[in-house]
Amino acid sequence: MKRFSEGLRIQLKVIQALLIRELVTRFGRENIGFLWVMAEPLLFAGLVGLVWTFVRGPENNGFSVIAFVVSGYIPLTFLRHSFGRSAKIFQTNGPLLYHRQVKVLDFIFVRVTIEAIGAMMAYTFAAIVLVFFDVFPVPSNVGALVAGWAVYVAFVLSVCVVLAPLSEMSEVVEKLVPISVYISIPLSGVFNLAAWLPPNAREALMWSPLVSGMELMRYGLFGDLVTPYYDLTKAFGLTIVLMLIGLILCRRVRRTLTLT
Amino acid sequence: MPTRAADIDVDMIYCRNIYKNYRTGKIDKAVLRGVEFTINPRDRIGLLGRNGAGKSTLIRLIGGVEMPTAGRVVRKMSCSWPLGFTGGFQGSLTGYDNARFIARIYDKPYSEMRAFVEDFTELGSQLHMPVKLYSSGMRARLAFALSLAIEFECYLIDEVIMVGDQNFQQKCREQFFEKREDRALLLASHSLSTVQKYCNKAVVLNDGIATLYEDVGEAISIYEAL
Repeated sequence: MKRFSEGLRIQLKVIQALLIRELVTRFGRENIGFLWVMAEPLLFAGLVGLVWTFVRGPENNGFSVIAFVVSGYIPLTFLRHSFGRSAKIFQTNGPLLYHRQVKVLDFIFVRVTIEAIGAMMAYTFAAIVLVFFDVFPVPSNVGALVAGWAVYVAFVLSVCVVLAPLSEMSEVVEKLVPISVYISIPLSGVFNLAAWLPPNAREALMWSPLVSGMELMRYGLFGDLVTPYYDLTKAFGLTIVLMLIGLILCRRVRRTLTLT
Repeated sequence: MPTRAADIDVDMIYCRNIYKNYRTGKIDKAVLRGVEFTINPRDRIGLLGRNGAGKSTLIRLIGGVEMPTAGRVVRKMSCSWPLGFTGGFQGSLTGYDNARFIARIYDKPYSEMRAFVEDFTELGSQLHMPVKLYSSGMRARLAFALSLAIEFECYLIDEVIMVGDQNFQQKCREQFFEKREDRALLLASHSLSTVQKYCNKAVVLNDGIATLYEDVGEAISIYEAL
């Protein structure tokens, strides 16, 4: 138990150091730095939202198109960045594995954490700006919104823990990572609500924790305008199963990892 | 295999029957086949072997950078990361940022480390440059400074001591042989004079097997005959 708490203390130190390092390397000192994490998805979501507004009109099924797109797109950019940066993450951070207390899982955890923090800040920032222009609702249920984010982030993390070691084992997987992002678009509830789907399709989508997370987020945001469909048992079950598979793969890959 | 009580009480590093294979495609190359030796406190061990004999591999395994295919490395004293031409640093970060990172993960106060690094490396304003722009000599200075500031009980050195200039070699001698006599050292090198000068024991690595010699001269003559 003493060894465990000592180990935990060291891992927290390592994660903290990696977080700071990651911010410095990725955004530099002379840059606008951490703000860019927020600005990038916001810019993206804002533009897509604008285009949609022109194509479909400002409202759809009773809520603002911009709000709908922004609330779907920011979590999707989080997913895209997290998946993309998980590929070959052990090799790119290889020099740091010279320090024994740095573990491969720390890299994944730190990447996903940074992406998640950035996405949530972008979300908050976008909400504040758009509420001001009256095209975004004030969240009606913050608890549901946060719970939805938690489900979404936990699942993305578990996928990354599987993707990262697989990308070291096979070149093919590495190349498939960008595709996995596109596959996940229809399975993530970005552009539609489960309530708009026929019941059997909706039933099938409940197997996607991303849909459950997104539905919860949208319910937290739009309140009773949305009838949320989610299945937390399936979401947590899948997340835990993937996480376990990922942990086993990470351990195996670390044993044969060759660093140059 | 159960760990014997004697292994646990003593400060040392013990390589127990280490095997290491590297696989590229279908070819499986056995680099180490049953390496067994012990590093005790105050040991200054030279590691000799021809190119490709597995010196760097062995050092990486002892440092925990890579894992053995079979066997175990038992570490009962604190042990540096392998100080060599690569590894340990984030190239895009400056010398100072790397120092700060290493201070954080080894739980050392940064101010002390910074002072020591500035004094030992004599790199001056170059510490504000990304490490990827450093020459191998500059990298060696930084790596040594950081690991000396952390105060390990055993230092793993892969070749790199020879890239330094006179001034650096002089500093290393001071730090390792005057101030830190009680530490252990494992030094992989092709420079027989360096091994003769620094070491009191030597390991010859040949055909994946390590043989420890108490007499450095004997080890050198065996190595030369390979």
